[in-house]
Amino acid sequence: MSAKHKVTIIEPSEIVSAGLKQLVEYRGNFHVAKIFKSLQDYSENLNGNPDIILINPSVLNTGDINDPRNILTTKDNVTIVAICYLAYNEETMRNYDGSIGMFCTQEQIEKKLQSALKTSSDKEQDDNSNELSARECEILTAVAKGKTNKEIADEFNLSIHTVISHRKNISHKLGINSIAGLTIYAVMNKLLDVEDF
Amino acid sequence: MDNKSNAPSFSAKTKMSEIITSSSLLSIIERLNIKLGFGEASINEICHRNNLSTELFLKICKVYAVESFVPDIENLTREDIPEIIGYLQRTHKYWTESFFPNLHSNIHTMLESCDGTSKRMLNKFYDDYDEEIKKHLDYEENTVFPYILSLSDSEQKNANSYRIKDFEENHSNIEEKLQDLKNIVIKYLPESASQQSRINVLNEIFKIEDDLNKHSIIENKILIPLVSKFE
Repeated sequence: MSAKHKVTIIEPSEIVSAGLKQLVEYRGNFHVAKIFKSLQDYSENLNGNPDIILINPSVLNTGDINDPRNILTTKDNVTIVAICYLAYNEETMRNYDGSIGMFCTQEQIEKKLQSALKTSSDKEQDDNSNELSARECEILTAVAKGKTNKEIADEFNLSIHTVISHRKNISHKLGINSIAGLTIYAVMNKLLDVEDF
Repeated sequence: MDNKSNAPSFSAKTKMSEIITSSSLLSIIERLNIKLGFGEASINEICHRNNLSTELFLKICKVYAVESFVPDIENLTREDIPEIIGYLQRTHKYWTESFFPNLHSNIHTMLESCDGTSKRMLNKFYDDYDEEIKKHLDYEENTVFPYILSLSDSEQKNANSYRIKDFEENHSNIEEKLQDLKNIVIKYLPESASQQSRINVLNEIFKIEDDLNKHSIIENKILIPLVSKFE
């Protein structure tokens, strides 16, 4: 058996966090090392080095809700899972590696956490690869269509900061910086129809 | 300058014929209107014969001859300014009259066998780039250089609201698209473009990249500081 995965919970309700801790630790694969009630609480205290952060998206400011990673951690390899009282839209959930609902059973939680760990390690590989990721392709296509960072942020529900960082990665991978050059790449690689512009 | 240790061993006393070791050093001679046929004359003698400051000549040569050499304006005077501008203007002339038309025709050849879309887009990309270069050079020729040359005229000096620092702000990066073009040719051009035509284009791009880079070192590290000093 590999070492237990360290989990941090950020959740305002004590009932929920205590319940989660119990269920998450049940099989012995995970260990809840820290529980915080608010984002402030989280950022003011030493938060250890969790492998997984379980977070209730409602503790984030509305502006940051789509961008939990930038707020919570500087590390790329932390898995971030949403604790959902209610359904969030799909775009918001894309920024998390997984989600746990109020009616999940212990088995489901276990499975979801395992698959979230896998998702985030896939993503990491994705980031390190030289090829563009699916998200990068989408953003590149939007750039080639002439959309501004603001328009792209709105369309994909991302912060402008995230769009800029995607664009940096794209240019770095391709070695192409100008919009005109990116457009040629997009057309040559069939990401875009010539008729599109 | 801490780069001095890297400097090649040439000085005012070196024979002029000895420093002509590469095509880029040869092009300096050409741009400074120095005639070949040096015999055994030293750099100092040849510069005197051509009414050129030896200091300036040596600095320009070192920019081309020594990788990552950063020149300063020590020992340069006001009288060197028109000479620097002449040098930059002749470089511009070489680019617009010879280099870029040549690159254009090489790109044209390279794209001949590509499909319609790639051909059209890359031609347009290059035309836009060409336009950008022209604008950049026109701005220097029509705004920056006349301003600098007017500085010696003390009456005009104060009337002019332009300052060399505006030039720095306007000094847009014309190398970015060249990089893009290079990577597109290396990485993404369809196989239908012949290998030899690509290699020709890439060799030209490497040449101009280096030339543009040295050119902006001369503008940023010699011309602008020198002009600011007398502004």
